[in-house]
Amino acid sequence: MGPNLWINYGEAVAAILFCIGFTNLLLQTNLIKKIIGLNIMDSAIYLFLAEKGYIAGRTAPIVTDGITSVEAYINPIPSGLVLTGIVVSVSVSALMLSLTIRLYIRYHSLDLDEIAAQLKKEGR
Amino acid sequence: MYLILLPILFPILAGLCLLVYRKEPERKLLTAFTGICLVITGALVVSALTLARQSLTLFYLTRTLPICFRIDEISVLFSLLTVIVFICAGLFAFVYMKHEQKEKRYYGFYLMVFGVLNALCFAGNLITFYLFFELLTLSSLPLVLHTGTKEAIMAGLKYLFYSLCGAYASLFGIYFLYHNCDTLTFTAGGVLQVSPASPEGRFLLLIAFVMILGFGVKAGMFPMHAWLPTAHPAAPAPASAALSAVIVKAGVLALIRVIYYIFGADFLRGSWVQTAWLTLALVTVFMGSMLAYREPVLKKRLAYSTVSQLSYILFGLAVMHPDAFTGGLLHVLAHGFIKGSLFLIAGAIIYTTGKTKVHELRGIGKEMPLTMWCYTIVSLGLIGIPPTGGFVSKWYLAIGGLAGDIGIFRYIGPIVLLISALLTAGYLLPLTIQGFFPGADYDYNTLQKREPARLMTIPILFMTILSVIVGLFPNIITDYLTEFVSTLL
Amino acid sequence: MDFVCNFPFFSILISLFSGTICSVLPEKAAKAVNRIVIAAVGVMSGILLLYLLGTGESFVYWMGHFPAPWGNEIRAGILEAGMALFFCIIMYLSMAGGAHKLFDEVEESKHNLYYILINLLLSSLLALVYTNDMFTAYVFVEINTISACGLIMIRQVGRTIEAAVRYMIMSLLGSGLFLFGLCIMYDLTGHLLMSNIKESVALLIQSGEYQIPLIVSVALMCIGLCIKSALFPFHAWLPDAYGYSTVSSAAILSSLVSKGYIFLLIKIIYRVIGFEIFNNTRIIDVLFVFGLLGMIFGSLSAIKENDIRRMIAYSSVAQIGYIYMGFGMGTQAGMVASVFHILSHAATKSLLFIAAIGLTEVSGGSRKFIDLTGAGYRNKWAGVAFTAGSLSMVGVPLFSGFISKLLFAQAAVQVEGKMLAALIVLGISTVLNAIYFMKTVIRIYATTGDTSYPCITFKDMKVHAIVLLFFIVLNIILGVSSQPIVNMIEQGLAMFA
Repeated sequence: MGPNLWINYGEAVAAILFCIGFTNLLLQTNLIKKIIGLNIMDSAIYLFLAEKGYIAGRTAPIVTDGITSVEAYINPIPSGLVLTGIVVSVSVSALMLSLTIRLYIRYHSLDLDEIAAQLKKEGR
Repeated sequence: MYLILLPILFPILAGLCLLVYRKEPERKLLTAFTGICLVITGALVVSALTLARQSLTLFYLTRTLPICFRIDEISVLFSLLTVIVFICAGLFAFVYMKHEQKEKRYYGFYLMVFGVLNALCFAGNLITFYLFFELLTLSSLPLVLHTGTKEAIMAGLKYLFYSLCGAYASLFGIYFLYHNCDTLTFTAGGVLQVSPASPEGRFLLLIAFVMILGFGVKAGMFPMHAWLPTAHPAAPAPASAALSAVIVKAGVLALIRVIYYIFGADFLRGSWVQTAWLTLALVTVFMGSMLAYREPVLKKRLAYSTVSQLSYILFGLAVMHPDAFTGGLLHVLAHGFIKGSLFLIAGAIIYTTGKTKVHELRGIGKEMPLTMWCYTIVSLGLIGIPPTGGFVSKWYLAIGGLAGDIGIFRYIGPIVLLISALLTAGYLLPLTIQGFFPGADYDYNTLQKREPARLMTIPILFMTILSVIVGLFPNIITDYLTEFVSTLL
Repeated sequence: MDFVCNFPFFSILISLFSGTICSVLPEKAAKAVNRIVIAAVGVMSGILLLYLLGTGESFVYWMGHFPAPWGNEIRAGILEAGMALFFCIIMYLSMAGGAHKLFDEVEESKHNLYYILINLLLSSLLALVYTNDMFTAYVFVEINTISACGLIMIRQVGRTIEAAVRYMIMSLLGSGLFLFGLCIMYDLTGHLLMSNIKESVALLIQSGEYQIPLIVSVALMCIGLCIKSALFPFHAWLPDAYGYSTVSSAAILSSLVSKGYIFLLIKIIYRVIGFEIFNNTRIIDVLFVFGLLGMIFGSLSAIKENDIRRMIAYSSVAQIGYIYMGFGMGTQAGMVASVFHILSHAATKSLLFIAAIGLTEVSGGSRKFIDLTGAGYRNKWAGVAFTAGSLSMVGVPLFSGFISKLLFAQAAVQVEGKMLAALIVLGISTVLNAIYFMKTVIRIYATTGDTSYPCITFKDMKVHAIVLLFFIVLNIILGVSSQPIVNMIEQGLAMFA
């Protein structure tokens, strides 16, 4: 376990970042901080994927200088996945931010607990 | 063969029509419709009874669970009782329900309960039986709820939850039986192939006990009897008559089916389950009578009496001796007629005087002599004084109890039955005595004859006569029963 | 390859594109397009189902011309086609049943948006059902989340926005975990197609290497999907989201969206990890325990609730607990019961939501029980439908709920260690269900109601009544002739392996 962790330190960092993002998204009451947590969490996963896709000593999978050997390039699929994932997380963040704005306009607060308290007072 | 479905479907559909019909129809029309439906259903039941010993599989619920119907001796007994009580209580209701509202709803559900009960009598396997057992609870619930007062609603909820808990406990057992038996079709002598000493057998004994408790809820057996005295007074009198005379008998029918047709008497004889069941039944007999003895409200007192009397029947089943079993079945009939007419009498008294407590009813015998005479006769029957129906059934119960292979219960049983009979006299006869002999300070000037309408007295009289006939000519029934009881035990 | 094999792809695509088209159409046309698309997809799934029943084999459809393991694939078997058909039926009925309420609750300018969201939701559900590629599944999980969130917040009141935010947060946590699990799985096996992953996983298990990462990955994916499908204790977002959104949304969310995720989980269990391997992990015990807890606590919360819509929502928590309990048994029978319960619960829960709206309409729009007294008389159809739904939930024979309970019990009896726990909790939960549903039924038929509210007759609510009738019939079909459906589920699950 120990040596593996040392070799895969990039993945370990990604996992720690994921946990930080996850707890932020779960436990923060401030909506903006939650969204930041969400982005940390997603980025951590992309870091993990990129780390997995990278093979030391090889270059990006774009044919240069006419070298077509597979040995020269890294695996392109993880990079493709990261791109797709970024698209998804951008749209999700945008949706969350727009929801936050709506709540802020109505309740002048970014604190989810406070908003819940106000809602209770409204009684609807 | 599909004739067997008619007495089930016809009243249910007729009831649904009534419920769906938008306007509240004119009273005469409504009662005429209901009356005709009741009579037709009765005729259909009788004609269906000619199909004895044939079975009809309707469809399959899952691969190995058919919905099927079959008529045997037990079905005949219970369905005849159902028909008589339902027609009598229905006629009675035509007058009684005048002062209640939403009559259409009452008759609608009344007819549906009738159909469901017929289905219950004709059910050919356990899963069909369970289906209609649940439907019985649900369709009879509106009868309890009928008045719509807070008290009635609480009583209805209590009835519902006790019944559902019981039904679930039984369903719990059905799951295991389904796993352990090849078939759940009712077969005289049981379908279980397991020996009670094997590990599965020991577990199945526990299951049997759970099922006895579960179905026992409907029959008002001891730990789960409390819904009866709450639900009966809340319901209108004809509904309580049906409840007490027939619907609670569904629990008895369920126990007969489960113990004698699925598990088999041999499986349970001599096991701890039998002992526990006997104990519970006897506790209920005694406790029901005691509670009835100190209950001032007439209908509630009768309800407690039902609790006690039903456990007479359960005792007869639990002894697992042919005589006791016959006694139990006889008591099903006798108690059905007696309690039916007792509740109708209580209804007649409430209808004419508006009084519900026993001590308020001084001199009632002078006001309604015919009704009170009927009351006296059926009371004597319930106590078990010859030549009424109750005597014969209790005689058989006691003989069976003494002859049964049940250890110490051989003596305890008959003794408890005897004490309870005394208590029965103690809680039923005071009304007769007060009613006919109001005492010297009774003001005869205020007395007026208030015999209820003829449509009320006739059903009462009819059921009273029937209860006496059961006592006078029990041989008709016992001869019919003896042969098939020997196949069961 | 027959032409019919194109149908899964077509149905995903037309629902996706019709969503885009809806945005430029006038409202009435958008509504028509929406209905036609749902119906068309339903018909196509039906034909596909018949075709598959005929051939008796599943097929794989390449998206583009890359063969496995590089290309993206769609896979269709009996279970997938059946599920797609069922989803379409429920969605069509829910949309039709809630249409009149939509106009009251949603701003005029947003009606088009609603149809777009519904179409998107349908396409993502279909994609979840049909896809054979894990990453595609992830992307459509997110699309599903976004459109579901839109469905919640389209009714613009404070509660729904808050509910949407809470829903989003929980969903994002779930999809984050799912994605992380997916990445680890990709890392371990080097594949994204389900069938290829399964082969590699089997090899890994044989070799005994990388056991811990494998388990972690499976666990992360499971937890992710559990959160998204609102398994207890991740259900906090659910009552508000179902309780305050517009009625079609509530019906669709409770009966389809959460089921989409559960169906994905089933696919993962069978097609990615392998049923046997999954059952040898401890994860099924965890699912079992949380399923049982959900069954009890969901019902307890429902009993305490004073608002009919929220009560039904809490009951969903309990019902989802049933489904996970079936997973937790770790047998084929348990799985069949769970899949059947997905169908039965979807049919019943949407019926209840649609009927509840009929009842609240005749009670001055209030959803409190005290105002609903006697509502069953004021709106007879809704009253009868609610009663039927309640009976099904309680598990009365002849309704679908009874069959699913029977199947669960039969499955439980075969599992030694979990038998008693499952049956006892099943019993407690049935009684608890009975308490709150029958309480409501008695309440709506009580005679002491406020008579000042207007009555509604058949003429005022033709569509609503017919939809309710269809739902009741669906329930009874599931309850009475369950055997063919159970056979189909068994066949479909066999095709998965």
